Amino acid sequence: MKQIQSRLRQTARQLLSEGKVDLLIGYRQGSLPLKTTPCFVSQEEEAVGLVWNSFCTNNLAVYLPGLFRPDPRSRKREEKKVGIVVKGCDCRSVVGHLKEDQVPREDLVIIGVPCQGMIDEKKIVAKLEGKEIIKAKEQDGQILVVDEKGQEIRLAKGNFLRDSCQVCQHPVPPLYDILIEGETARQALSDEYAEVKELEERSIDQRWEFFQREMSKCIRCYACRNACPLCYCPECFAEQSQPRWVGTTDDPSDIMAFHLGRIFHTAGRCVDCGACEAACPMGIELRKLTRKLIKDVEELFGYETGVSVEEPPPLATYKLDDDDEFIK
Amino acid sequence: MTEKILTKDKQEEFLSRLIKVYQVFAPVEKEGNSLFSQINTPEELAEEYRNTKRPPKELFFPHSEALFRFRKGQVLEENPNEVERVIFGMRPCDAKSLTLLDMVFNGKDFKDPYFIARREKTTIISIACARPQITCFCTSCGTSPVSEEGSDILLFDLGENYLVKSITPKGQQLIDSLGDLLTDTQESDLKKRDELIKTALVEMKSEIPTEGLKEKLEGMFDSPIWEKIHLKCLGCGICTYLCPTCHCFDIVDEAVDSEGERVKNWDSCMYPQFTIQASGLNPRLSNKERLRQRMMHKFNYSVSNYGQTFCVGCGRCVRNCPVNLDIREIVKLISGK
Ligand code: SF4
Ligand code: SF4
Ligand code: SF4
Ligand code: SF4
Repeated sequence: MKQIQSRLRQTARQLLSEGKVDLLIGYRQGSLPLKTTPCFVSQEEEAVGLVWNSFCTNNLAVYLPGLFRPDPRSRKREEKKVGIVVKGCDCRSVVGHLKEDQVPREDLVIIGVPCQGMIDEKKIVAKLEGKEIIKAKEQDGQILVVDEKGQEIRLAKGNFLRDSCQVCQHPVPPLYDILIEGETARQALSDEYAEVKELEERSIDQRWEFFQREMSKCIRCYACRNACPLCYCPECFAEQSQPRWVGTTDDPSDIMAFHLGRIFHTAGRCVDCGACEAACPMGIELRKLTRKLIKDVEELFGYETGVSVEEPPPLATYKLDDDDEFIK
Repeated sequence: MTEKILTKDKQEEFLSRLIKVYQVFAPVEKEGNSLFSQINTPEELAEEYRNTKRPPKELFFPHSEALFRFRKGQVLEENPNEVERVIFGMRPCDAKSLTLLDMVFNGKDFKDPYFIARREKTTIISIACARPQITCFCTSCGTSPVSEEGSDILLFDLGENYLVKSITPKGQQLIDSLGDLLTDTQESDLKKRDELIKTALVEMKSEIPTEGLKEKLEGMFDSPIWEKIHLKCLGCGICTYLCPTCHCFDIVDEAVDSEGERVKNWDSCMYPQFTIQASGLNPRLSNKERLRQRMMHKFNYSVSNYGQTFCVGCGRCVRNCPVNLDIREIVKLISGK
């Protein structure tokens, strides 16, 4: 990690000083233990603040479409070159942006980092059973946590990885301009969709119960949508008022309608980066739902998202030899 | 006002007696999230809790509330009256937040009868914080971990006992009605209470420079600072929806043909459609303007309007922001400290 971090800083400094990027999106130390925070670097001197560790969970690709959108006042797009630090999953979101024509390839410098898996802060918090975490740092594959009583607790990083990291198939970014070499990426394990299968096997009533329970926690803060790199619509269907598709109350039917709409919009596009679930303050199991669609798309179309810019997206393509099995 | 002792072995009976007479709300753990919810038995009370994830404002200002029903232009019924309630286990920052909401919904210019009715029928029993969290900064926001403001009764957790202090006549009345469960305070109890107050204040490690902040913000509407601060903000509703003092709402008609309800829903200044006008114009075009509004409202406009900062330092937005955009850091940046 240390090796990657110093190379990353060096690369950033170079890109900025040579004018190859005007702005670079990376991570810096957060204000709370177990957290980093996204940062936007435009000065060479600021590159020393960049960090790389097991807390770099945010998917920075979420910022890209907005950065390349025309200014709403002048309606002009500012010419700028943007560099972005990506893990495997973040990179696949960028591939999605390129495919959907949201980001100009020529103005983007993708700095890929082979990923070793990121920590799920919520899992560590749960492990501490209500004790507050005062400090945390990473040391030789372990997470060192100091609790409010000053007690030091060592946790094996492997036990606290995010669920999405545990089933990740592409820890190494599939597309990059610069690959930061250093510690090797995590070995990709096969994804058996265990939790999706378990959900599929439940009766319809049990599935309804699961859906109702998860939705009952929702406060409609839209953080899941706003953290999602592919929810980039300037105006979301959930907010349109002419016509209004979804009510804005906290009634379960309104909340469910919002989520059903959003989740179906991710079909064939979601890369399972886990940003939605990580952003949700209420701990809603959103990935179970998005992953069901990933599995369906894989089974129906043999398509994996975010690995190739050229391969046409299955839900936006028509094939003459499609056997149209679903309407027979 | 009086100070009494409630031994912890009587806490259950204390709550049971309250439940018999009032609707009692207390911190509970629901599907992994702590919030204030009605309890029907004392056991439902969450065991260990600091501050709830969801603030108590929803008990007075619900996320969605039907104001009345209508049919063909006729009002059919208004919202029914509220019942007598007790909220047990509120933290002083949240109790303070209710006094701020009072200024908005029960102020000189506007009166919200629904809010007022709920406030009048609710007695608040708070618990002083012995151990503030690393994200707590209430002492910078006009309150403290042991403040009485906004509470009818304040409890101090002395280990074996609670010291029960009545703050308002409403609180006194409640204490009197349960007088048989309470005993007199001893010199040692008062000493323990003073100890608790002292440690709580010492343990409070986090702070923000609110001194002179309002004046500082006065000339900062067009400051380039906003260009930078907002960059990582996602524009979600977490910081406003989980904030005990944020109180913006929207009113919509939920109707089929000419029959339906007029509903008041929470809204957030961080949402793009919050300021969209009928012409389609949106004066707050990006997160920059929205985040500026959030900061200005809390630390400048509300000080002009009500003489108070609309942040009580509960730290919920700090803990829950998905991109760790920490309001304490924003304030420090603004004040140049
Ligand atoms: S839906 Fe969730 S997991 Fe899928 S791309 Fe969006 S944020 Fe990532
Ligand atoms: S982030 Fe969670 S609480 Fe917020 S809208 Fe999404 S599911 Fe609901
Ligand atoms: S500051 Fe954080 S919580 Fe608030 S709108 Fe921005 S991203 Fe959401
Ligand atoms: S602004 Fe943040 S810290 Fe202040 S009262 Fe609101 S949620 Fe709490």
